[in-house]
Amino acid sequence: MTADLVRRTVALCRDLRGRGMMVTTAHAIDAIRALRCVGMESRERVYLALRCVLVARPEEVEIFDDAFAMAFAPSSPPEGSTRVSRRSPPRDPAVVSSLRSWGEQGSDSEEQGDPEPVPAASDMPAVVQKDFSAFGADELADIQRIASRIARRLAARPSRRWAPDRRGRRIDLRRTMRRALAEPLDLRFRRRKPRKTRIVAICDVSGSMDLYSQFLLQFLYALQGTVARVESFVFSTVLRRVTGVLRQPDYAWVLRGLSAEVHDWSGGTRIGESLAAFNQEWGRLVDRRTVVVILSDGWDTGDPSLLGAEMELLQRRSRRVVWLNPLLGSADYQPLTQGMQAALPHVSVFAPAHNLAALRALERHLLS
Amino acid sequence: MADPAIATSLHLALELHKPLLIEGHAGVGKTEIAKVLARLLATDLIRLQCYEGLDANTALYEWNYARQLLHIRLQERDGHAPAEAEAKIFSEPFLLKRPLLQAIAHEGRPPVLLVDEIDRSDEEFEAFLLEVLSDFQVTVPELGTIRARERPHVILTSNRSRELSDALRRRCLYLFIDHPPFEKELMIVRRKVPGASEELAAEIVSLVQRLRRAKLAKLPGVSETLDWAEALVVLHAAHLTPELIGETLGCLVKDEADLRKVRGDIEAGRLPLGAA
Repeated sequence: MTADLVRRTVALCRDLRGRGMMVTTAHAIDAIRALRCVGMESRERVYLALRCVLVARPEEVEIFDDAFAMAFAPSSPPEGSTRVSRRSPPRDPAVVSSLRSWGEQGSDSEEQGDPEPVPAASDMPAVVQKDFSAFGADELADIQRIASRIARRLAARPSRRWAPDRRGRRIDLRRTMRRALAEPLDLRFRRRKPRKTRIVAICDVSGSMDLYSQFLLQFLYALQGTVARVESFVFSTVLRRVTGVLRQPDYAWVLRGLSAEVHDWSGGTRIGESLAAFNQEWGRLVDRRTVVVILSDGWDTGDPSLLGAEMELLQRRSRRVVWLNPLLGSADYQPLTQGMQAALPHVSVFAPAHNLAALRALERHLLS
Repeated sequence: MADPAIATSLHLALELHKPLLIEGHAGVGKTEIAKVLARLLATDLIRLQCYEGLDANTALYEWNYARQLLHIRLQERDGHAPAEAEAKIFSEPFLLKRPLLQAIAHEGRPPVLLVDEIDRSDEEFEAFLLEVLSDFQVTVPELGTIRARERPHVILTSNRSRELSDALRRRCLYLFIDHPPFEKELMIVRRKVPGASEELAAEIVSLVQRLRRAKLAKLPGVSETLDWAEALVVLHAAHLTPELIGETLGCLVKDEADLRKVRGDIEAGRLPLGAA
């Protein structure tokens, strides 16, 4: 193997790491071993071998192809090239800074300059009923607490896994046999282990929905740890999956990831098209155990019949579709927009999500 | 199937002794790859079908309780001491080997271990599987440690119904299989359903390829194409007609709303039936 090829491969690995792919030193070593296996005569074989070793999910193929083309360009190697990946279009600085400030709300409450002292107890009616748009920084902790409570309840549903239990319904043969050596008929029992509920959340982040979606996403972020299967998506004009981002244990990472993934944090809304994209690309995540939660005000700039059709499909595939509309929180709101009218026939639960009380009520819709 | 991407991946999996993770739509032949590999290597295929709630006992080993209980009863009748019985009933004849242990304890050539639809299992099981795949040894407390003499060839498949952990992905080579292009699917149909004439096969495949571009809830996979071709051959079809399609569409399109949509499209002449 030529030193040049090794050098290019290592440069490729470094480049992929820079573009956010998980490429470790072990991967680089495997990549070089792989090249030794397939030889260097055929560019296609080299490409296929490296892709097999370095790519770990289909979304990465495009990134890889781009990086491969650069690292194995026929002419001079692209060291220090300034070409920008197709996957990372230039970001709107305003979007990034608005996300940053969202993240900093929790730590720097002084900077918010909120003159009102906020009560700590989450059950104070004033706090529970307060619209999120009037929220101070300290209440974030409350949301986390309620979310954990919901998560614990959700995590307590029975599943097909079994755990030992004195009063269970099924005889636990393994433990009974262990006992039987001394006393043959001392039966051990087992019961079903709790099953995790599946939730798919699709949040509108356009314009006024931005704030409410942030709270719902925070809430889901807390669910993520305890309830294993939460999938989260955000949309305004385009749909983006943020599950991986919300799963990062470190909060700073979450924010950095979100600002990297959600370029269109505000702008027009295409609910129908976003749901169509979801059904097309991610429909497999929804089965009849899955509760689909959509947060949006229903201000759709697209075709309402498309929205209706996609909602019907979602409702048919899932256990339940919960539509959260923060505007429902105000007394005089009527769901008269075309989009809302098209969606409503296919919604099992239509609820607000504008304050803590509403978030707490969500528990019932996710559970029952 | 001489697809270079598949061939390269299998070659590397064998040479680098790493598990190969195969993802793709349902029905593109992920499982088939493991079967073909086992056949090529002239070795056994051991299959572990995953489902939600699959646990270590079902995947690894279980004691044969009925036999143990019977043995204890017999020993008691003959007046043997319990300690004697214990030594006996936790020995190999009483052990039921489940797929993972079968693969590890396999004699002769290393087998192909197919972990099918890993995305259906729980995260906990995935973590357990990682441990087994990293050292191919299992400790049965009553028996001691069982180690694989040679590493089995491991193939995992996933339909992506949930995201797999990064840890698992990191340890595997990766192959994504998309629906095959026209020529390749035609070749598959010709080979697997020899009864279909060249024209019929081409018509079938071009219609299926069109359907995949349509917005259906469940896209037909290669296995659906083959089922459909078989059905048409049984009906002695020479060419596709709207009537024949109406009678057999259920082989191909398996969602009620999709059926309605495709039927409507055919009636309205929006789906051309001739070969592309």
